[in-house]
Amino acid sequence: MWQAFWALLGAAVTVAGCYATGALAIDYLDARLRREERLPLAFVLGASLLHLAIFAVLALKIAYRPVLIAMMAAVIGAAVWRGSWKLKGESFAPLDNRLKVFGGAIFALFTVLYFFHAWAPESSPDGSGYHLGLVTRYLRVHGFEQVVTSMYANLSAGIEMLYFPAFAIGKHSSAALVHYAFLIALVMLMFAYGRRIGRPWVGAAGALLMYASPVVGLDGSIAYNDCGVAAIAFSVFYWLELWDEARAAKLLIPIGLLAGYCYAAKYTAFVMAIYALGFVVWKTRRVRPALIVAVCASAMVVPWVAKNWIYAANPVAPFFNKVFRNPYRHVVTDQEYTEYLSNYGVENKWTLPLEVTVRGQNTGGLIGPVFLLAPVAFLALRFREGRRLLLPGLVMLAPYMTNVGTRFLIPCLPFFSLAMALAVPWAPVLAAILVAHAWLSWPSHIPSYSAKYAWRLDRILWKQAIRKIPQDRYLSENFAGYGVARMIDDNAPKGARVLAVNGVADAYTSHEVLVGFQAALNDDLADVLNAGWDEIRQPERRRIFKFPARTVRRLRVLETAKGAPLEEFKVTELRFFFQGKELPREPEWKLRAWPNPWDVQMAFDNSPVTRWRSWETAWPGMYIDTDFGKYQMVDEVDLDTSPDYANLRLQVESMDASGQWVKIADDPRDEVLRPPPDIRRWASRELHERGIDYILMQDTDWGADDMREDPGSWGFKEIAKGHGARIYQVVTP
Amino acid sequence: MLASSCQNMPESYAPPVQRQPFEDSRPHRMSRIVNVADADAASHFVRDIAPGEPAPWKWTNQNPAVKVTPRTNQGLRYIIDFTLPEVTFKTTGPVTVTFSVNGHDLDRVKYTAFGEYHFEKAVPPEWVEPLKETTVEASIDKVWVAPTDGAKLGFILTRMGLTQ
Repeated sequence: MWQAFWALLGAAVTVAGCYATGALAIDYLDARLRREERLPLAFVLGASLLHLAIFAVLALKIAYRPVLIAMMAAVIGAAVWRGSWKLKGESFAPLDNRLKVFGGAIFALFTVLYFFHAWAPESSPDGSGYHLGLVTRYLRVHGFEQVVTSMYANLSAGIEMLYFPAFAIGKHSSAALVHYAFLIALVMLMFAYGRRIGRPWVGAAGALLMYASPVVGLDGSIAYNDCGVAAIAFSVFYWLELWDEARAAKLLIPIGLLAGYCYAAKYTAFVMAIYALGFVVWKTRRVRPALIVAVCASAMVVPWVAKNWIYAANPVAPFFNKVFRNPYRHVVTDQEYTEYLSNYGVENKWTLPLEVTVRGQNTGGLIGPVFLLAPVAFLALRFREGRRLLLPGLVMLAPYMTNVGTRFLIPCLPFFSLAMALAVPWAPVLAAILVAHAWLSWPSHIPSYSAKYAWRLDRILWKQAIRKIPQDRYLSENFAGYGVARMIDDNAPKGARVLAVNGVADAYTSHEVLVGFQAALNDDLADVLNAGWDEIRQPERRRIFKFPARTVRRLRVLETAKGAPLEEFKVTELRFFFQGKELPREPEWKLRAWPNPWDVQMAFDNSPVTRWRSWETAWPGMYIDTDFGKYQMVDEVDLDTSPDYANLRLQVESMDASGQWVKIADDPRDEVLRPPPDIRRWASRELHERGIDYILMQDTDWGADDMREDPGSWGFKEIAKGHGARIYQVVTP
Repeated sequence: MLASSCQNMPESYAPPVQRQPFEDSRPHRMSRIVNVADADAASHFVRDIAPGEPAPWKWTNQNPAVKVTPRTNQGLRYIIDFTLPEVTFKTTGPVTVTFSVNGHDLDRVKYTAFGEYHFEKAVPPEWVEPLKETTVEASIDKVWVAPTDGAKLGFILTRMGLTQ
């Protein structure tokens, strides 16, 4: 029960802190708001400012629980003392009773479902993975640290910043409740918008279309950030509307701050900043107002850019690694990841509308069948408000094709929901649509039309929320990721890094788990592990370049052809010979490679399980270059490599006295190599040398059966088993 | 942002420590045994094994079979751990179980008492093609038939497959 209390308290304190900060700012800006819009606008604006303060606390490495609590107490105290805490302003015209009862009933029904889900133990994949995994990690060290093992550490995390004080008080569920507060603020704001334009039924219908959407309710009640992003983007729109009415220059400040906060919350939401700037320029035809917006937005953006520049050598990490080259993230992994996000395995993009509205399996969740009627929204173009809604809606929709997950539609949904409601201006019809939407969105009804494994809410988790069912029991029985995380903590010594093929619930383990695709270092380690069992990665091919003996100081192997997509240049070992005798590798040799210069030593370490890879599709001009430091006689170059590329063309070049590269051999002869029979031991020793002594394998992971059938041949010992996974320890490196 | 694209690239590296071969290692022993408790066990089931979540044991019907893909056909052994439960044995009496690989009968054993059993026997290499799906089967001559719904129960399976 105490867990439930602290969870609620953590969220309440954080939400109050956001509101207090925003209320102070609104009073400072002298913004004239209606009573009903003050609360949600203050909450979101306050969140943006508070996120910056928490960012500073983390950067200063003083993220201790008392510091975070003191911050919240200070802003709440200041707001109460300055009188900003009170709800002020004129109210909108009173609502008619039918709307109150009808809208209130649907809202209350879904609120019970969502609130208890948010309050219940957190068991969402990404929430318990990186969203809160990084929160727990930074809280352990009381601030930011360089994380080279997870690309997620480089995503902007403007909403997750608010999870810090919440988590410090009430742990995981507190964070989910804070995210839920964003959803409530968004719904309040949408409703307020309808009342502001004199159409309360439109506001209520738009808000409830959004609120009852299955994916919105699910996402908004876990520690994700999509509903938060939607709330911020809609706040930008709302402030722009307020500014357009009043033309008060001070209102450009919240517009800019929130536009920048869009980027800070999620990269793709940055388009809202462009919309805000464009709107202000269009309305004023002047530079200065746009400049105010831009400067305020920069205040929110720059910290995240700087953090990535310092820690990841890439201001927009984890993307654009071909432009901002760095040793932390591979280009090909980036390509594969973005390629996957652009389709989620959905081959035919024309099926997406059905997938995201009705089926909800491949793209993770459904917005609800009623949104098949979304084109109706364009009928709202006949109204000024409709045009005003649809433009930012389309702007927020624009980045969707870069990530077609259903929840990535959430940020544009408020605009389309309101536009849909606006397009159907008859209250009885709106009421009928809402009833149908609510009925179809209720958890027990969804399976009747969705795909079998659609991501959705299941039931009201009130017993789990108040911890009548203990948290540990609930998570152990219902969330395999939790069991695996606990298994890691119970079996791996403190501080030991664990290598895994797939993600785990990082927020429930104190160990650092290195997941294959999440960073360059992890890619390299996974490549070593997989070389132990996967023949396609083993050096089964020797490419032999023979040429008349010559004296050289510097040699390189140059790749001259364009590879097929994702076809890389890979070199397990590169050796030089004279009269059949290998030149011993000397410390004065200077090794270089391009691209991926950081891994060149892996082609010169005499190991069959490590290799230099270009980690991007091969293009003419890639090379591995060896400077012997003195002149050497050489007549043969051997390149050991895997058999998984065919289109590459290699040639050996030497540097002449004038510094020019001269081709000395091409058209190599290929020989079949037999990797050592104990190659698995080579792999485990290499992992041990790189600080990895624990490997987590899910039973369904690639390579899991190979380890399971004979751990001894790997030098492994199975030290734990359960929840569909095993942990191996390297015992004989 | 453009300025940040000017990174310091490493100049060059010296050759690293050279890895040396092992003196005390052994080759990998192939073992394709389907343990019904494993998370991926169901993907190996061919027929007559109770579906559903992984569990420490599962009921079979009359001819349970699993499919495995061995990398080699050399030195393979058929292996199975199963239980003839008292409750069904009381009805069926002694039973004969036929063990086979890819349709070839490997052995036929008569069991005259209930209890836990382990069977293991070498598989002729010509019955198995490396890297091809291989069906490992066990067939019981008498099954217990539930009086209420007619469900047929053979024996309780823990694991079966091929190993070196």
